[in-house]
Amino acid sequence: MKHFCMPVLIALPVLAGIVLAAARMRRRTCKLWLMTAVFAVEAAGVVWLALNGADDVTLFRLTDTLVISLSLDRLGKLFALVFSFAWMLVGIFSFRYMTHEKREDLFFSFFLICEGMLLGACFAANLISLYLFYEMVSLLSMPLVLHSLTREAVAAALKYLFYSVGGAFLALFGLFVLSRYCTTLTFTPGGTLDLAALPGKENLVRAAAFCSILGFGVKAGLFPLHAWLPTAHPVAPAPASAVLSGIITKIGVIASIRMIYCITGTQLLAGSWVQQTLLVLSLISVFMGSMMALRETVFKKRLAYSTVSQVSYVLTGVFLMNEQALTGGLLHVVFHASIKVCLFLTAGSIIYHTGKTNVTDYRGLGKQMPLTLWCFTFASLALVGIPPFSGFVSKWYLAAGALGSGLGAFTWVIPAVLLISALLTAGYLITITAIGFFPGKDFVVRGKRCDGSVLMWGPIAALALFCLLAGVFSGVLVDLARSVAQSLM
Amino acid sequence: MNDNLLLFIVFFPFIAGLLAYPLGKASNRARNVWVGLVSIAEFAVTVYACVQAGSGTLHAGWQGFCSLGLRFEMDGFRRVYCVVLAFMWMMTLLYSPEYFAHHHHRSRYYLFNLFTLGATAGMFLAQDLCTAFVFFEIMSFTSYTWVVQEETPEAIRAANTYLGICIIGGLTALMGLFLLQHHLGTLEISRLYEAAAAFENKTVLYWAGACLLFGFGAKAGMFPLHIWLPKAHPVAPAPASALLSGILTKAGVFGILAVTCSVFRYDPAWGRVILVLGTVTMVLGALLALVGVNLKRVLACSSLSQIGFILVGVGMMGLLGEHNALAGRGALLHMVNHSTFKLVLFMVAGVVFMNTHKLELNDIRGFGRGKPLLHFCYLMGALGIGGIPLWSGYVSKTLLHESIVEYAAELAAHGLPAGGIHAVEWLFLFTGGLTLTYMTKLYVALFWEKNPDAKLQAAYDRKRPCMNPVSRFALGVPAAAILVMGLLPNAVMDRIADVGTDFLHLGPMEHAVHYFTWTNLKGAVICIVIAAVLYPLVVRRLLMRTQNGVRVYVNVLPTWMDLEDSVYRPFFRVLFRFLGNVAHCVCDALDAVVLLLHKLIFFAKDVKSDDSTSRSLVYRTGRLLDRVCAACRGEPLAWDEEGPHAEHMVERAAVRRYRESLITSAMSFALLLMVMALAAALIYLLIRNT
Repeated sequence: MKHFCMPVLIALPVLAGIVLAAARMRRRTCKLWLMTAVFAVEAAGVVWLALNGADDVTLFRLTDTLVISLSLDRLGKLFALVFSFAWMLVGIFSFRYMTHEKREDLFFSFFLICEGMLLGACFAANLISLYLFYEMVSLLSMPLVLHSLTREAVAAALKYLFYSVGGAFLALFGLFVLSRYCTTLTFTPGGTLDLAALPGKENLVRAAAFCSILGFGVKAGLFPLHAWLPTAHPVAPAPASAVLSGIITKIGVIASIRMIYCITGTQLLAGSWVQQTLLVLSLISVFMGSMMALRETVFKKRLAYSTVSQVSYVLTGVFLMNEQALTGGLLHVVFHASIKVCLFLTAGSIIYHTGKTNVTDYRGLGKQMPLTLWCFTFASLALVGIPPFSGFVSKWYLAAGALGSGLGAFTWVIPAVLLISALLTAGYLITITAIGFFPGKDFVVRGKRCDGSVLMWGPIAALALFCLLAGVFSGVLVDLARSVAQSLM
Repeated sequence: MNDNLLLFIVFFPFIAGLLAYPLGKASNRARNVWVGLVSIAEFAVTVYACVQAGSGTLHAGWQGFCSLGLRFEMDGFRRVYCVVLAFMWMMTLLYSPEYFAHHHHRSRYYLFNLFTLGATAGMFLAQDLCTAFVFFEIMSFTSYTWVVQEETPEAIRAANTYLGICIIGGLTALMGLFLLQHHLGTLEISRLYEAAAAFENKTVLYWAGACLLFGFGAKAGMFPLHIWLPKAHPVAPAPASALLSGILTKAGVFGILAVTCSVFRYDPAWGRVILVLGTVTMVLGALLALVGVNLKRVLACSSLSQIGFILVGVGMMGLLGEHNALAGRGALLHMVNHSTFKLVLFMVAGVVFMNTHKLELNDIRGFGRGKPLLHFCYLMGALGIGGIPLWSGYVSKTLLHESIVEYAAELAAHGLPAGGIHAVEWLFLFTGGLTLTYMTKLYVALFWEKNPDAKLQAAYDRKRPCMNPVSRFALGVPAAAILVMGLLPNAVMDRIADVGTDFLHLGPMEHAVHYFTWTNLKGAVICIVIAAVLYPLVVRRLLMRTQNGVRVYVNVLPTWMDLEDSVYRPFFRVLFRFLGNVAHCVCDALDAVVLLLHKLIFFAKDVKSDDSTSRSLVYRTGRLLDRVCAACRGEPLAWDEEGPHAEHMVERAAVRRYRESLITSAMSFALLLMVMALAAALIYLLIRNT
């Protein structure tokens, strides 16, 4: 069991996806039950793995040195847990949402296959396997963006593909160089650099690592390769944007963490120009994303810019390379995933029920969809970082990590940028709540009160509640994130 | 058991609020009874907790909340303020049912009202700054709904300002907390002093202090962050204004006090900053109140001014070092006093509003005639706030004045120039005079003059009784308390001050203060004289005009003299536009570069820059390149912006175009990134070889 669990968890959704696409089931309920079963098995399986662990597995060998193998460590467990549960909730939401889109079978099958690939990326034991799954996620999530096949969707999907592939090339370049200077490409906390070959070549290795991280940063929306996010999100169906933004961006994070902490090691990068440049880039993304979100009025685009900003919070934590900051970053992975999925599902629900995509039309929405807007408010407060909501905790650790990093001006610039960005976040999210619930005295409510079916508001409410509870009872999560961070240092 | 008491005080209102909401949807009456009972229970438990605490302290905590933990403590100062808080809440909630009888969204109001009660209690009971911050933020957001409650355009605007200031203040305070936590290793108020004393780098501490002062000062209404106060109070429902002014601003003051008494205990530089800001707030608030013509706006500006008095006391605490007994006691007592005054006065304003639905002085003129209880309550509040001997405000103002005099004497004894402090003293007395003047202005308008419209006056005269028995109770009790406290300063006021000594770390009193001696009465007399001069000269002459044969109150303040409208909002608008444009350019930079390279490498004339998903920078770059290409090919230049060129591009089916150029586009992008990677490698080689 311990031997087969990981491959099964990767293969099951892929097979289910293929079956779904090939079998062309007549009855919709069959499809939905099949998907529900897969989601449930995946989530349960990941929990089982997290509790019991698993043996390392070698899937196949490309050459003697290039091996595709799986291994489970704490980082993988954390990400797999986040991914599988978020995927399940988004999946349940999509049951109802996809009724107003065409070709739902295709969507569902790619949606399922993506889950398998994502879990593969979590379980990857070495850089080659990670690269494989990373590319697979890029290619297989593109149809999710493409789904509606409108002119914009095609353009956006291509843009997404170009950026992902381009980023992967950059990463590959780094990979080639690094493979020469590493003893192995298997992930080992502390790095695998060949200390004998290294002297005199430090900067080359640093440059290679930089290219790789920048390349993987495409997925995480790291400036300057972030531009696919605001293009791809508005055109994709809401469940697709939710997972793109909440989950798939995290693939970039996991790859960066693996690169920094498990391949090159923090010793080589800490304090070097690579760390400084990356920090500057992530801070630019944090600020620029928030500022653009504030200017944007298309709701999903606004959320996409917000993702650019928030995932860079995580990256800032990763790039600071100390335990506190990494803990904060990992916490923010969990929190941002839940918050952003919740926000995009809210957006989906609003679009499904009212057809409104522009936030200026959301006046009085609270009268029409009170529960949905309440959930939105919870998630927004969490994203701004208002205590006791979840985002507050991760920001606290990020700021503490930055202050303790001893990186000169960064020690205070980072907390300041994080807080300014939080202010802007309040500006682009809380204002929606404000006009939604307080439209003005003379506002006449049109349409009846409707939060949709439980399949829609259920996942949203569960996530919104998680935003609150994960903040109040964050002790468990903090311990978990800290243990992951310690295992990597 | 005792621990649970504190947790009960903080969390009971939250749970009660969650119950009140569905209850209110079912029955208004049941909800009103429930809310009343909750407030009485809260008050009873608070008093019980105080009795239980005796002269010691109670502690409670919730380990693991937000992974940082909540820690509560009830010591002397907090005992005083929790009782004041619970008392005020009880009175306003008893008074609310009548005030809200014909309002909408009552369930919402009560829900957030009870939440705010819990949050404010948590703020005052906080043992460390982190706990204080958590509840401070909750309080900011829940009280936002009070301001916006009426949903008029003014209310929405004022509420936005309030929310903006709260969020900016909250985040700035958070920065201060980060700094303190990192450098001092603790946020516990009682341990900060030792930690700060042992810490070398004072500059960092001052930065942290400035952040905290900004954050808490924003809530307290300190200049220059006072702008929300005069806007928010008039639009909020009267019971909410009473609480906003009486308690929520004090939460900000409490935060400032907590920092002053811990990190910057006996720090003259810190004291000086607060003294200056406090003095400005004090004078500015009083001047604004003097020219106001809206009943609640005058009271709101008066709150500003009184907060200024309290801050002067806080500043003097820093300046006087270990001899800060007078200043600290004065500040504490003035906090308590101001809470009760504003409770009474805003509820009076509420009575006026619920009977007349107006607040402009000219409209409500003469409303109070023949209403003895209202008259009595207003007088108590006005005489108290004016600092007239025998009323409670006199006691606290005397202490504050004494502390200024003491500092001046101290400076003189050391042969240091004392001009600044004398200026503060005179401004203090002058503001005292202004306070009396504007309270007299309101008094004469409300209770003395007849309304020029005889029919309206007759209607006002018929409104008797103007409130129900419960409201009469809610109004009468605090009004009577002002008098009792003022009549028995040594028995009541001094004891309150004694209780707060430990928290404020006040030195021993050098001598008992005899409030009714000539030296102390002199200050009050000066204030009265100033008011006696100002009222006829300024209010009756300058602030009243004859319109249609009737003397009416006019607002002489030009509209541009509004700090929010003429400075802050334009500033932020420009700032955000600028930063937004910068962000925009940065954001689109790569897309523009891609396009540039694409065109340069492939000389691609078929890929136009009209991609609907791209942004203006990309679009413009593309247009420019198109022109350059055209010029290179020897085609005539088309400089017109909206020519057929643009239309042509929009009409072309992008899908087809992309399908044709899919491979080249993908290749170009990949190439670009490869080029970047190679460039990086080249730069590296260059660096290495040199």
